[in-house]
Amino acid sequence: MENSKNYILDTSSLISLESINILDQILNLFTIITTNSVIKELENFAKYDGRYGRIAKSILKFKKRLRIETCEIIETINYIEQTDNELYNLSLKMKLPLITDETKFVHHAREKIDIYFTPIFLAILIESKYLTKNDALNKLERLRDIRNWRSNIIYLTSKKELDKL
Amino acid sequence: MKTEQFNIRMPKDLVQDLDIISKLLKVNKSEWVKTKLAEEVHEEKNKLLMELSTLYANGIIKKEKIESLVGKEIADEMESVKVIAQRSIKRGLEYGKLKKLHS
Repeated sequence: MENSKNYILDTSSLISLESINILDQILNLFTIITTNSVIKELENFAKYDGRYGRIAKSILKFKKRLRIETCEIIETINYIEQTDNELYNLSLKMKLPLITDETKFVHHAREKIDIYFTPIFLAILIESKYLTKNDALNKLERLRDIRNWRSNIIYLTSKKELDKL
Repeated sequence: MKTEQFNIRMPKDLVQDLDIISKLLKVNKSEWVKTKLAEEVHEEKNKLLMELSTLYANGIIKKEKIESLVGKEIADEMESVKVIAQRSIKRGLEYGKLKKLHS
């Protein structure tokens, strides 16, 4: 069951995980794969002193624990950025799930690859007893604030599903 | 960028105010109005779409209604986001079970 141990993450998901302080824990439990383009995006964020700049700096401290791959773009989705197309091709090539919080990316890639939003990790951590349901819901609230999700579909749907547990 | 002519009549006072802004900021009046309008339209559009998606996520309105209001592309994207957000939690629980078994 290789798919339950290895995940490909984009910049948005790495930022989300670090913003609620679970990236370290996720790196202890799973192999997290990303690309050089994502690292470059994080390095660009890290040049600035704002909230995302600080989060990007923290993520880059974990760089050695990330598995960094390069991937040729063979198949292109028109509506998304080059970095996302690279991740999309990596997911196709490695047959691994891709985690992102980019709604456009999810919309255009969902029929072709296994793609999920970051709250997948909250569910994993609840089920494997690393987080309580309440901790996960609190982290979802923090994620909502930091990512400015307000009452968007990711937040409302994730909350509804987690509340059922 | 493709453009389209859009004419509006404005009160004289407002045009005079625009002249003042234009002189003080040393900017082209039309360009300044265009920038401000773009900011306002972007913000209002996002706000309204957020309200619409909240209603959709809470099951108050259906995809067909969204499609009739804002078109198929936006309605399809909202549906994708809802489906994948649900699937993310469900799949997370399945993967979590496997993680527990393996540890």
